[in-house]
Amino acid sequence: MVEIPVKIERQGTWHGAKLAVEKDQITVPAPFSMQIPYRQVIDLTERKNILTLTLKGPPEITLSLATVPKALQVLKKVIIMSCSAYRLAAYFMSPAVRGGVLVKEARWDKGSIAVLKTVLWFVSEDKQICIPLRDVTGIELTTRDVQNKKVDVVKIDHMEGTDVVTSFILCPLSTLQVLFNFLKDTTKDMDMRGDELDPLSAQVGMLVYSGMDSHAIETMLSVSTNELEGVYDKLLKLGLIEVRYVRREVQMTPKGVRFITEAVKPPAG
Amino acid sequence: MGKILIVDDTLFMRTLLKNILFSGGHTIAGEAADGDDAIEKYKELKPDLVTMDVVMPKLNGIEALKGIKALDPNARVIMCTAVGQEQMVKLAIKSGARGYIVKPFQAPKVLDEVKNILES
Repeated sequence: MVEIPVKIERQGTWHGAKLAVEKDQITVPAPFSMQIPYRQVIDLTERKNILTLTLKGPPEITLSLATVPKALQVLKKVIIMSCSAYRLAAYFMSPAVRGGVLVKEARWDKGSIAVLKTVLWFVSEDKQICIPLRDVTGIELTTRDVQNKKVDVVKIDHMEGTDVVTSFILCPLSTLQVLFNFLKDTTKDMDMRGDELDPLSAQVGMLVYSGMDSHAIETMLSVSTNELEGVYDKLLKLGLIEVRYVRREVQMTPKGVRFITEAVKPPAG
Repeated sequence: MGKILIVDDTLFMRTLLKNILFSGGHTIAGEAADGDDAIEKYKELKPDLVTMDVVMPKLNGIEALKGIKALDPNARVIMCTAVGQEQMVKLAIKSGARGYIVKPFQAPKVLDEVKNILES
């Protein structure tokens, strides 16, 4: 048994406690007094050193825990490897590409993939990578050169903050197919026919993806503000973009003109 | 900050890269639309770095990379390719490319990669 000091959130307040991490369950002492068998955990998400566990219902119970990174790593590994999830032994490479740039130190890690209710976990000896399924932007069953042999892999594109990241999973083809079908099905809401955008809208989309602002897009494509607004409306309606902020364009009032005119006059005398 | 030659057969991608690199404080030494032109421009402009598309008419990016490396073994070249052509990566790295970017790309990551390569 390992004891881990944590903070547990309850009704918006954080309480200190020592979790007892046992073989089949976690025991949370008073005032929580809970026993959580690992098999009862159906989801585990992570955000900035805070782990959120979802326990099987009904009703489903969520529990948020915070602790230091090292303890969190131990806790995550135990839960991921024993919770209620679809798990498979696999090699994974994550990240392989970040923001379109090939990651030079990318390598295959031997470990496990666990698919939970809303997230996918890659776990190896020294890596624990959490990919929320809602952040998965693309799935492809493809081939890749591994030690000079072409092998089947699943390629997953996903968001990590504002970065678009590509990861690869390598395991027997039948398992890859199951994983691919599952992920494809989970993300089917994002599927599009492919002919929804006219060439201008597609170009605007590409420039937004690359991080260009509205002014740069107008200049690059020689379009007016109104035309660009029209394209944005189309992309917004399709759910392809979201408004980050609205920038104002302003002009001088007579009072402002007077102030500036006065301000640039040379000092009297 | 570096003087960069952009090689791509599409005006759209050249303009996009030009904007990204310019926003990062780099100077655009010039542009080329195919591999032959890239080698000629390299000779003429002696840029600090080249961004090179892989699939281009006349001479493709890999052949142009080899041509530039034959002129200047220390040339810094970043290859640029579309999704699905990643098999070219090994060939490009073997031919002396310093980095590899896959379209579509995100400006901050491209600028980081350019900075790293210019400082190497």
